[in-house]
Amino acid sequence: MSFAADFPKDSAFNKAKARYFATPTDAVVSALFAAFAVWILWSLANWALLHAVFGANQRDACMATEGACWSVVSTRWRIVLFGLYPFEEQWRSAIACVVMVVVAALSCVPWFWSARRLPPLWIAGFAIFYVLMRGGWFGLREVTEQNWGGLSLTIFIFAAVSLLGMPLAIVFALLRRSDLPWIARTMALVIDVIRSLPLLSIMFTFAIVMPFVLPDWAIGDKLYRVIVGYALFFACYQAEIIRGGMQALPAGQEEAAKALGLTYWHRIGYIVLPQAFRNALPPTINQFVITFKETSLVTIIGFFDVMASGRAASGNADWNFATIEMYVFVALIFFVFVFTLSRYGAYLERRLGVGRR
Amino acid sequence: MSEPAIRIASMNKYYGNFHALKDIDLTVAPGEKVVICGPSGSGKSTLIRCINRLEEHQSGTIAVMGTVLDDNVDHIDEIRRDAGMVFQNFNLFPHMTVLENCTLAPVLARKIDRAEAEATAMKYLERVKIPEQAHKYPGELSGGQQQRVAIARALCMSPKIMLFDEPTSALDPEMISEVLDVMVGLAQEGMTMVCVTHEMGFARQVADRVIFMADGEIIEQGSPAEFFNNPRNERAKAFLSQVLGH
Ligand SMILES: Nc1ncnc2c1ncn2[C@@H]1O[C@H](COP(=O)(O)OP(=O)(O)OP(=O)(O)O)[C@@H](O)[C@H]1O
Ligand SMILES: [Mg+2]
Repeated sequence: MSFAADFPKDSAFNKAKARYFATPTDAVVSALFAAFAVWILWSLANWALLHAVFGANQRDACMATEGACWSVVSTRWRIVLFGLYPFEEQWRSAIACVVMVVVAALSCVPWFWSARRLPPLWIAGFAIFYVLMRGGWFGLREVTEQNWGGLSLTIFIFAAVSLLGMPLAIVFALLRRSDLPWIARTMALVIDVIRSLPLLSIMFTFAIVMPFVLPDWAIGDKLYRVIVGYALFFACYQAEIIRGGMQALPAGQEEAAKALGLTYWHRIGYIVLPQAFRNALPPTINQFVITFKETSLVTIIGFFDVMASGRAASGNADWNFATIEMYVFVALIFFVFVFTLSRYGAYLERRLGVGRR
Repeated sequence: MSEPAIRIASMNKYYGNFHALKDIDLTVAPGEKVVICGPSGSGKSTLIRCINRLEEHQSGTIAVMGTVLDDNVDHIDEIRRDAGMVFQNFNLFPHMTVLENCTLAPVLARKIDRAEAEATAMKYLERVKIPEQAHKYPGELSGGQQQRVAIARALCMSPKIMLFDEPTSALDPEMISEVLDVMVGLAQEGMTMVCVTHEMGFARQVADRVIFMADGEIIEQGSPAEFFNNPRNERAKAFLSQVLGH
């Protein structure tokens, strides 16, 4: 009694007391959960830190401890990041990834949010990425797509899907609101059909079925077929997001632009899309988050993205007892990318919420 | 006689089955100021929006500065460049500054270079008495200021005709006169104007002709003196007693 009275009324202690220890039952349940949480944290710390082996090539030390074997990561992390990319050339893959991450980070800066800055940024970034990875130019040794893998393949797929999917999404959204009813309705049907299919089935179709259907010259590499399929899927979702952003525009905006004598493309490019994207920014970021995460589905078609590379890296006889550590590492990579993006999305939402208009 | 600024002949407009404009005949001479009034729903906005193809008419002819309005996109663009429009709720572009609002169309549609377009824009912003707001966003301005920017934006295209659709009816009372002042100034400089408004003081002061519409038809037209002092039509009388408040 007198103990609690020493604290000011709204102290953290009193708040906690009111929330978690109001009745004896509350108190017991809270204490049990607290003990449980502490126990979990303690076991986790024991496993991940106190008894863990960190240094490279310490397989024997790993076998001896009951802690985590981070040694598998420090020994074989290159496979996770670069897959089967030739060892001496991996610096190229590393620079390529950094370039794409920088491009993604720059796209978050409002200065780049214009039709004249964002597309060139992405095209340039993607071109640098491709030239570095693929080589064959500027005296770089050629490394074909079959040898790409790990995080760099994941980033490649993500960037290619975004670069291809975003313009496609804009086209779809514009067709969807066409003045000609049959175009608008056909587009709506296509979008709805593709959105109702699982991504995996689309990837399978493009990877495995398409070669039987397409003429030889149009088949291309399996990787690019999967990217095209994924981009189509992305575009259908993103088109609906953009359309939502357009519908939020008052009709007067386009009318004013018409009355000023602006052509259709000028109206779309300068009045409609910039405002639609601003309205649709939070769901757009969300869409990118989902797209990044779902790139890992390509493992099923036989690509060594970061996920599959993680499995492969711990999959040999020497390290197969440390699969969990490897997966934790891969999960951490995904977490860093996705968490950053979604925090950025939340920040934007707050910023635009208080913004002008 | 010179080509009329606007020539509308037996024009009909339907929204689906609804006959919104019935057999409209209207000729506006260069330099003439025409005020259109009438009860709500009578088709005033529809008429003025047909002139620059914000609405499509179904029969009859509309010609602006000698260009006949048909499905030819070049004709539509030409007419839209000749006829500036000011809307009831301003319709400024919220993601652009005042100056960008004013230079966008001259640069894109008239291919004027940016520096020149900006100089012209500043000239018109001075004319509507808000040059100091040039670098603000529309959301930072009052309604009256926004509407003056909208007028400046239209003037930057050097239109030969200005169309106004109730430019003051979304404004707080204390801001109406600052917009009307700009419009009076424009009229005195000889701009051809077609103006939907219920500001009867403005109509008396600048109009050469007042047009009264009801149910999609032009029911009565005449000089302000005739119309205000001596309306012939019953509906015009009823309307006037309502807006003039007696
Ligand atoms: N897009 C539309 N679709 C169907 N009917 C419409 C449309 N726009 C206007 N109308 C109808 O056409 C008639 C004329 O409308 P209009 O907006 O031209 O009237 P107004 O004289 O400008 O009225 P107000 O003084 O209220 O602005 C009204 O009956 C209206 O309901
Ligand atoms: Mg109206």
